[in-house]
Amino acid sequence: MLQRIIDDIALMSAIGVILAFIIVLAQRWLSNYGEVILNINNKKDITVKGGNSLLATLADNQIFIPSACGGRGTCGACKCKVFEGGGPLLPTERPLLSKEEQARGMRLSCQVKVKSDIKIEIPESIFNIRRFHSIIEEIIDYTYDIKGITFRLQQGETIDFKAGQYVQLETEPYGKVKQKVMRAYSISSKPELNDRIQLIIRLVPEGICSTWVHRILKVGDKVNFTGPYGDFYLRDTNADILFVAGGSGKAPIKSILEHLQEVGTKRKMTYFFGARTTKDLYLTEEFRAFEKVFEQFEYVPVLSHALPEENWSGKTGFVMPYFKDAIRDPQNTEAYLCGSPGMVNAVTKSLIEYGLSEDKIYYDSFG
Amino acid sequence: MDYLKTKSTTTVLGDIMKQTPLESKIMAKMQPGVITYGGFLGTDRRDFIQIIADDEKTLNKLGKTPEEIADRLEYFQQQSFDAFESNTVVDGIYEVETEVVRGYLPCPFMHQGIYRKSYTTVTNTRSGKSFTYSALNIHLIRAHHFFEGKKSHFRLEPDELVNELFQK
Repeated sequence: MLQRIIDDIALMSAIGVILAFIIVLAQRWLSNYGEVILNINNKKDITVKGGNSLLATLADNQIFIPSACGGRGTCGACKCKVFEGGGPLLPTERPLLSKEEQARGMRLSCQVKVKSDIKIEIPESIFNIRRFHSIIEEIIDYTYDIKGITFRLQQGETIDFKAGQYVQLETEPYGKVKQKVMRAYSISSKPELNDRIQLIIRLVPEGICSTWVHRILKVGDKVNFTGPYGDFYLRDTNADILFVAGGSGKAPIKSILEHLQEVGTKRKMTYFFGARTTKDLYLTEEFRAFEKVFEQFEYVPVLSHALPEENWSGKTGFVMPYFKDAIRDPQNTEAYLCGSPGMVNAVTKSLIEYGLSEDKIYYDSFG
Repeated sequence: MDYLKTKSTTTVLGDIMKQTPLESKIMAKMQPGVITYGGFLGTDRRDFIQIIADDEKTLNKLGKTPEEIADRLEYFQQQSFDAFESNTVVDGIYEVETEVVRGYLPCPFMHQGIYRKSYTTVTNTRSGKSFTYSALNIHLIRAHHFFEGKKSHFRLEPDELVNELFQK
């Protein structure tokens, strides 16, 4: 009887091993798509190994499409146009693509698997996006929850970006966090200083990346990031400028002003910095100093919840009522806004009421 | 209807051995460092199904539904959005403000869609009791009846919500 049981167990084990072997072989055979041709913008053919997502395949070839969720199909940031070879639209993509986008052949590159020759279209600006290796050079505590971190690029590397653009920082596993994540942060340093970048990073409750930055990173640590991304950047015109940004939204404005200091400008500029209390003000002296650098620049902090004991003598409440005095010719004024969608919407509405053209209001609504 | 609301939670209460592959995946998404730094379960030793069942019992006793709670939280959030996320008084006794930061969070139950990292704080000025919740909290309560595990950063106690946020 015991021998019979042992024989049965041995037989079952042998069958299990054979089945597992067959599955491994089948997987290897079925998922081997071989080499396929990836055509980009009808201009460039790349021979790639099939089987990966389009997002990962492009990244393997140093083409970085923005992705806030790291390819998990939840953020909808990695959209690109697929003409041929993308297979049918997946249920995972539908909620993140409008009907109009679906009709135009837009897809989520993280969900499209490269199995056969594929033709895609991506914005030309994406070719400028690269992956950078850096070392942390400096960490400054700006407020109780905002730090400025300078990342010096690996020797010989430089980054070419426009003032106002952002990068995606890649975290390393730490503590309870076992996987890498990528998070977007605006560059706060000037493009002319192209062997390093500074980011201004606010500690977000339960944020995986911001906790890593605030609690783990130290000077000398190695950090990777990709970029530059984004179409929020200074337009090269002579129009007057209104900047409106609070909190870490100050980062791209700092980059723009430092850039203008380098190239020189006579443009009339006003920066409204919205904050809750004096505790949330930072880089005030540095921005006041721009008033001496530029002929026509005013820095206007506005506190929404100034406490009596703070003895705040500056402007209070919402920023919108103060626009009136700063706008001299609405048709010749551009606005650059960086902050939450609520702030951006409210400010945009107000600026349009003051006569600004909607197409001259540029914003980064923390997307 | 959502995954958990179609399921009889009492048939699988606390029995981790009987977790389906989907339930295991959800538990994995709720662990620290996957979607949020601290995860969704806190120090709770119960699985999410047990947490949901226990909170549903609490709400039943109090005569409220998770949907009513979610509606109330969303109402405060909307009032705050209407005031440009600034501090505003709602219904005479609640101070509400919302803070929105860069980025989005996915649902750990693997629903499609993402939720802005917005944090609304409601303070009952009579009692001084405050609650802070995210846009994802509202979704988790409405769609999954999930108030998060004990001691998780955004755990909301159903009985406290009922007692504090429905006053006239």
